[in-house]
Amino acid sequence: MNQSDDEFVRQAKTLFDASVDRLDAATLSTLNRGRHRALEASRTQAIDWLRWAPVTGVAVAALAAVLVMQPDPAALESTPASVTEMEILLGDESMEMLEDLEFYAFIDEFEADDDVG
Amino acid sequence: MTESRETSVVAPGFAVSWDGEQATGTRALQREQQLNRFLAGIERRALRIAEIAVRDRDDALDLVQEAMIKLARKYGGRPSEEWPPIFYRILQNGIRDWHRRQAVRRRFMGWLSRESRDADDRDMIAEAPDPAGRTPDLDLESAEAMDQLERAVSALPARQQEAFVLRTFEGLDVAGTAVAMGCSEGSVKTHYSRAIHALRATLEKP
Repeated sequence: MNQSDDEFVRQAKTLFDASVDRLDAATLSTLNRGRHRALEASRTQAIDWLRWAPVTGVAVAALAAVLVMQPDPAALESTPASVTEMEILLGDESMEMLEDLEFYAFIDEFEADDDVG
Repeated sequence: MTESRETSVVAPGFAVSWDGEQATGTRALQREQQLNRFLAGIERRALRIAEIAVRDRDDALDLVQEAMIKLARKYGGRPSEEWPPIFYRILQNGIRDWHRRQAVRRRFMGWLSRESRDADDRDMIAEAPDPAGRTPDLDLESAEAMDQLERAVSALPARQQEAFVLRTFEGLDVAGTAVAMGCSEGSVKTHYSRAIHALRATLEKP
């Protein structure tokens, strides 16, 4: 851009700025109202977001819980007879085994004493 | 023991949460004030730019208001230095949509009324460069000179018009103009250069 282009641009800018300064009061008032509507819209949107935040939080937590509880397919395959840890914990037999833990501990202790003796 | 200490001992979680909410509220308020200042500083120039593009003040006011609302809603959280090109991109998109709607309206409604066709013809002539080649009076305070400049700018191809108003009237740099126009910086330079030569050829006829 040469010097005369620069001068042309400068004059055009000056004309434009003068036209901006000539805007009438009614137009400026309309612009002002429009700006406040825009700010109000952004505020309302923020409030809407806050209103949904707890619901979103619960939904995310539930999803995370489901994902964490999801059994690992590889682990399932490696478990003999597809027996999961949950089944062991919840099965009737395992409850019996838990009740007998004291007995097994006694047996271990007894055998250990016997070896020493 | 002060009241605030009691609060932190009795309900530390609540105290932290309240402080956090207060800080968030303060930040939101500061953000809104910042956005208000930005929009207040840009709205009048944006209106004139839209008015030059659509040649109608009421439609220009609507376009500027829509752009302000979209910026505030969707991009209010972005860094403030990004706002000018984003705002003008929204505005330019609105102006393009306006022209598309006008073209469709003219196509479907034009045949209904002879009067409307005549009105369209008058608009086209009004928006064309001055055929008499009168010497433009670039008196810096002259509304008439600005009107001639506006008509010349309106007669430019859309992309040249965008590049010219964003670079010259709004003062965006090449990078910002490229963001606003959604094109490369090289394209901005090309459109801008062609716009200036076209405008000078029109307005500086002896």
